[in-house]
Amino acid sequence: MSDSRLPSPPSRGLWILICVILAPAVILPLWVGLYDKDEPRLGGWPFFFWFQMALIILSAVLTVIAFALSRAADRKDREWRAGMAARRTDAAG
Amino acid sequence: MNAVTFSVFIFLFLVVTVLGFAAARWRRAESMANLDEWGLGGRGFGTFISWFLIGGDLYTAYTFIAVPATLFAGSAVGFFAVPYTIVIYPLIFLFLPKLWSVSHRHGYVTPADFVEGRYDSRPLALAIALTGILATMPYIALQLVGIQVVLDVMGLGQNSDNWFIKDLPLFIAFIVLAAYTYSSGLRAPALIAFVKDILIYVAIIVAVVYLPHKLGGWGHIFDVANDSFTKFNTDNADAIASGTAAPKGMIPPPLAHWAYASLALGSALALFMYPHSVTAVLSTRNRSVIRRNAALLPAYSFLLGLLALLGFVAIAAGVSVGDPPNPQLAVPQLFENEFPPWFAGVAFAAIVIGALVPAAIMSIAAANLWTRNIYKAFINRNATDAQETQSSKWASLVVKFGALVFVLSFSKQFAINLQLLGGVWILQTLPAIVVGLYTRWFHRWALLIGWAVGMGYGTWLAYGVPLPTDPSSHFGGPLVLLPWSDTTKVYIAVLALAANLIVTVVLTFVFRAMKLSAGVDQTRDDDYWADIGDQGVEPELDPHREVHA
Repeated sequence: MSDSRLPSPPSRGLWILICVILAPAVILPLWVGLYDKDEPRLGGWPFFFWFQMALIILSAVLTVIAFALSRAADRKDREWRAGMAARRTDAAG
Repeated sequence: MNAVTFSVFIFLFLVVTVLGFAAARWRRAESMANLDEWGLGGRGFGTFISWFLIGGDLYTAYTFIAVPATLFAGSAVGFFAVPYTIVIYPLIFLFLPKLWSVSHRHGYVTPADFVEGRYDSRPLALAIALTGILATMPYIALQLVGIQVVLDVMGLGQNSDNWFIKDLPLFIAFIVLAAYTYSSGLRAPALIAFVKDILIYVAIIVAVVYLPHKLGGWGHIFDVANDSFTKFNTDNADAIASGTAAPKGMIPPPLAHWAYASLALGSALALFMYPHSVTAVLSTRNRSVIRRNAALLPAYSFLLGLLALLGFVAIAAGVSVGDPPNPQLAVPQLFENEFPPWFAGVAFAAIVIGALVPAAIMSIAAANLWTRNIYKAFINRNATDAQETQSSKWASLVVKFGALVFVLSFSKQFAINLQLLGGVWILQTLPAIVVGLYTRWFHRWALLIGWAVGMGYGTWLAYGVPLPTDPSSHFGGPLVLLPWSDTTKVYIAVLALAANLIVTVVLTFVFRAMKLSAGVDQTRDDDYWADIGDQGVEPELDPHREVHA
């Protein structure tokens, strides 16, 4: 168990951004009232069906962006943790 | 029975099986240990190959048979499988890397290992393990039904009053599955993955490109399906008004919005807590492979959506599914009617192998859970390797028998209901596993009682749902009315989870006020961020090793 609260890592802002970016991929598919319609049709497809297929593409794009950001966030945290560890060693030594 | 179709089917089936066994023998000399641990994710494989393999494993009887059947039958909520597979990827992206880190830091191989380490509670770990085993059974049952309907369409099931002859395809499916897993373990399914996946992709792509084109294009197909549903609703207006028939439709009416959304969300939350998905996630090379795959996998949802719509294609093609109707025959019958016989054989082989391999992997994952968290933890603490292996083999057989019991005693009319019943159970492990990744605020005894309440309430609700055609039946569907509503239905799993969470929160306050011991947490904050290369992080998890602090 952690004995003391660690100061929050520097990636906090980035993770909030990642959650905001991913939110539409969770909220839009569950908001059925938004797309339970037949019109407008696209190539014969009712809106209900083509909109959900389009959501798949949207969520793929959002997840790719979130992936890139998460790499940056992880990198920042690693540097920060390494710095903390170094400082602790200095203080102990 | 068409001789060409049948010969091609048998030929491909034998080729894939023999190849699997031969390959296992060939690789054995090199690296037995690696193969032994090969999960679904393909540790050591690059992103592209693991993407290819994971995708192949997503196309089970669920996608080929169960989902198209609900659309064929005119269930307006049937397309929920698409939002389900959209919602799942952000959830994987956020939750699972933490599980990867803490598991690789402490040698956790199963979710029950994690829960025991986190909450210091053996009863809670036992509950998690039992739930995983139980929930896997109906999921395997769905695969058996998938194999059965294909054999049925090929003419192996004769119309007979004898129950044994009638269920013969089911028994054949069961015996093939049992023989397959018992002798080869996880090795054969892993090594035939390439051949199997190529077969599946060929069948899918031909089916979703060639068939709609042949039958007049998607626009025409949607119109024909819609007209047939409208006609059904007009012809059966009296029955629908009196509640003995369900109205058909393509788009969920406002009253069904909650049902549609809760089925999607409940299924998404449930999927990655199944033992076999956890194995897959933990077997990836490092944390970021999980995230990268989450970004690549949505391509599969697209194909899944098109496959689901084969239900409408079957309507447009005028497929008939027997009397009494079995909508699950729709896709195999469509293939039989519209494909040249040899290609129907290819497609049937793809569906059957595509049901067999996931079923084998699921039963092995459940068996490992049994051996590690029940047999070794409670029955025989000092089991030898041989005893462990034997226990696993028996457990995997028992799990498959359990699946057979589900098929025989529950309605096979909509196998998707079996999978959704499994979802009701597995979702009750969410507070301990997913919430546990973020906070240890929940008290271990509150979690256990909350789990029991969720399991009991969910099972009771599911028991109370009759089939639309038979008011005296049970476990007939995944939806119930919200307790405070006369019209709005939701997925039972979500309702049971809500009850589970409420009990857990309230009792956590009570137990904390009583200062009941919360046990010792084996994990530390930075365990949840650890990656490969960090101190104490194991590159590969060994199921035979103990967990450690």
